[in-house]
Amino acid sequence: MSAAIDIADATFEAEVLRSDIPVLVDFWAPWCGPCRMVAPVVQEIAEQYVGKVKVVKINTDENPQTASQYGIRSIPTLMLFKGGQKVDVVVGAVPKATLTTILEKHFDTPAEA
Amino acid sequence: MESRGYNKSSQKSFELMRHFAETYAKRSETFFCSDPSITTAVIEGLALHKEQLGAPLCPCRFYEDKEAEAKAGYWNCPCVPMRERKECHCMLFLTPDNPFAGTSQTLQEVPLEYQTTQ
Repeated sequence: MSAAIDIADATFEAEVLRSDIPVLVDFWAPWCGPCRMVAPVVQEIAEQYVGKVKVVKINTDENPQTASQYGIRSIPTLMLFKGGQKVDVVVGAVPKATLTTILEKHFDTPAEA
Repeated sequence: MESRGYNKSSQKSFELMRHFAETYAKRSETFFCSDPSITTAVIEGLALHKEQLGAPLCPCRFYEDKEAEAKAGYWNCPCVPMRERKECHCMLFLTPDNPFAGTSQTLQEVPLEYQTTQ
């Protein structure tokens, strides 16, 4: 089982931009209701796609630099990075199926469900 | 002022914000989320912003400058999208057709703590 990991402004480059595999970043804030709703979905994605996608979470209250750099407005915002580049964005608490569809689109081969 | 926990508002601010949310839900004919922890978290965030910034700035947005945003007013609850189109992306006020809408306009408070990590 793999867990979504918490990252910070200081570790964003190493954990996200320099990752060998695609990275799903969950931009969240502590008193944001829908962030609490999407957190377990993000965790399920981390477990389902072990080795295929890395899942990280960043608290925008504590890490404003990264949120600012990527123009985060509404939260939660989920952003997919591939080879250090932002390739997709989803805003708001979305169902798991929406996320898996987006992830699959960016994989070379379909992942096993 | 008594502390209710780290990075939480005072009891008085929380109660004021709860009262506002319940009143506004009835007035706008919207409902709270079927998961009361969502509603509780948002009311906590609004109450904290009211104390820190003087206005209940939406806790479901990232701002370059919270003070300036609170002054600008657009995202102070009830925000412009809510007042104009009943759109609350924070899921505090949900129209009855929203799949996450519950049937209550009264908060069932859930004990929550501030999280630095999820």
